[in-house]
Amino acid sequence: MSTASAPARDPAWSLPRSAIGLWVTESVISALFLGVAVVAFLLFVPPEPGTPLPLLRWLVPVGFAVYAVVAIGIRPWFKHRVYRWEVTGEAVFTRTGWLSQTWTLVPISRIQTVDVTRGVLQQLFGLATVAVLTASSQGTVRIWHLEHDVAQRVAEDLALRAEAVRDEAT
Amino acid sequence: MSGLGGARSGDGAPADGAPGATRPADDAPVAAGPADDAPVAAGPADDAPVAAGPADDAPGTAGPADGAARRTSPRVVLAHTITFRQARQLVPALIPVAAVTGFDGMGTVVLLAAVITALSLAAAGLSWWRFSYLDGPTSTVVTRGLLTRSVRTVPNDRIRGVEVETPLLHCLLGLVRVRVDAAAGAVGTDAEELLVDGVTPAEGDRLRAHLLARRPDGAAPAPGVPAPGPPPEEVVARLDTRWLLYAPLVGSYLVVPLAALGALFRFLDELPRALRPDIPGPDLGEVRALVLVVGAVAGLVLLAAAAVVGAALVNWRFRLVRRGGSLVAERGLVTRRQTELEIDRIRGGTLSEGLGMRWVRAARVTALVTGLGQAGRRGQLLPLGPRTEAAALLGRLVDDPGELRRHPPAARRRRLARALGTGLALTALGAVALAALGWWVPLAAGIALTLLGVPIGLGRYAALGHAVGPRSLAVRSGWLVREQAVLERRAVVGWQVRQSPFQRRAGLATVTACVGAGSGGYAAVDMAAGEVPDFTAAASGPWAGALAPR
Repeated sequence: MSTASAPARDPAWSLPRSAIGLWVTESVISALFLGVAVVAFLLFVPPEPGTPLPLLRWLVPVGFAVYAVVAIGIRPWFKHRVYRWEVTGEAVFTRTGWLSQTWTLVPISRIQTVDVTRGVLQQLFGLATVAVLTASSQGTVRIWHLEHDVAQRVAEDLALRAEAVRDEAT
Repeated sequence: MSGLGGARSGDGAPADGAPGATRPADDAPVAAGPADDAPVAAGPADDAPVAAGPADDAPGTAGPADGAARRTSPRVVLAHTITFRQARQLVPALIPVAAVTGFDGMGTVVLLAAVITALSLAAAGLSWWRFSYLDGPTSTVVTRGLLTRSVRTVPNDRIRGVEVETPLLHCLLGLVRVRVDAAAGAVGTDAEELLVDGVTPAEGDRLRAHLLARRPDGAAPAPGVPAPGPPPEEVVARLDTRWLLYAPLVGSYLVVPLAALGALFRFLDELPRALRPDIPGPDLGEVRALVLVVGAVAGLVLLAAAAVVGAALVNWRFRLVRRGGSLVAERGLVTRRQTELEIDRIRGGTLSEGLGMRWVRAARVTALVTGLGQAGRRGQLLPLGPRTEAAALLGRLVDDPGELRRHPPAARRRRLARALGTGLALTALGAVALAALGWWVPLAAGIALTLLGVPIGLGRYAALGHAVGPRSLAVRSGWLVREQAVLERRAVVGWQVRQSPFQRRAGLATVTACVGAGSGGYAAVDMAAGEVPDFTAAASGPWAGALAPR
């Protein structure tokens, strides 16, 4: 994943494999909803000749199929390669995204709050998200989909260290 | 009434002003995680870990007068009745009632007006009666609410700015309105604001002086006792009346008269036909073109004049004064506003130039203050002025990091591609439409958009740049409004680097400096990807070295 034009290095640690299962599940659920919409479109919109509707009756299912294959069969594995995280001696560092990638770096001395959240699906897979908040609305680091006990340990560790080196100048 | 008043001050005003003594009636903002307030937390209602420790203030500064809650002047009831401040939200509910009873002529209108006024008076009176505030030595408590009591406690060391404003009606009644801004933390809403509406100017000044008494030199005057002589004042900037002539070129001042015009037309449109003034369309004939041109010119002149008048109303006799440890901005003709910012909290500033302002080399300066809500309006240090003045003022605020570095040519290609994309796509569609259906309008629009895209793309590229100095950094971007943000190094609380697939191919990346002030982040768009680690390391602490390849 690291090419010559990468603006920053890769964070050291990858996510657990179960994150892939979570992403696949999420994609399946959203594909199901989309599928219902597509079926409704095919059932209730008649192909009136002279309008673009007959063409759309082909394009919409094809688009849906492409989306489903990419979202379920490709994207989760791709994401697993992109999503990485690391806690260095001075900062929390993550990379997220898929096609567009985002590196976020926050110094531990500027951490204001550390939250651990567990969504419904995350609980099924035993995962949790650690959110590290700073004074800036844009300076929030989320470490997605860590194993729950790891997330808890990371959050406690960060909170302790932030307390020790807290820098009041926000 | 007096009994209730006593009960109120009892529950709303802790004797020592410690926030934990109040009920958790209010907004504990986002559940504080483990990193936050655990050890010091004074109470569940509070989000301020460092706040209000008694050690913060010299003990014994609490005078006996500070034990009792204060109230606003009863005259404010009059002001609120007239402006329907509380009753405004009832109006939508009344309209269907009126519709059901039938809308038949003046009688109903008069009745409706009387009912609304009475309701307004009652609501204003009640909310005045239920409102009290107390500025204690360590925290400020505001108690209000008709049915649901709300007690909001803000530790004084979280207060970031105090604004004293005098709307016209308040001025006639001899009152002022005091807005207190407190640090909002990561949540960034205006919820952390206290509003004390309707106190005498003297009380307003006392409040402001008291709330901002924590000067960096530590010489906090005892509350209640006037400070020993006014601190020396130094005028930092002042608005030259001639600068108001820039106003027609500033988007925000042009929008106001346009919006007023739009509202007027909508209003005329909704009037019952019988009430609408009957203006016969003049018989234009062959003078029509001339009339149109004259009308357009007259309209433009009027619009420009309205923009100047609007700018004058808001910015009349603007001056920026340094008073002790804070900057005080005063402005306004009808509503006189005083905004006070702590210099210690200023982390940098932005210099913004709109498209029209760039023609005449005008600019405006806004300070970036940590934890200040509505920073765009409150942080204004120079609403309008020549670019040189603005740059000099910004230079006094924060070190100049030096000349901006241009971004690589790939960034120009990218800006052009983005600016031309829509136009080219429309041109292609237009060509198809011309061939298939004989419509030429989409093609013409596409070509026009494409041609327009060239200067826009080049202009966007010309705006891009970044610089790092020993103590500060600068980033610039934008075309419609070009904004240059200059930040102190210590302001940066994080970095965000984004790279899209197209940027990856072009070897570019967008770097955002996350800041706990202003809009929360300022981006260097499309800088060379290879320069990112050096830039971030130079522009913030050594912690940013984590981005560099090992």
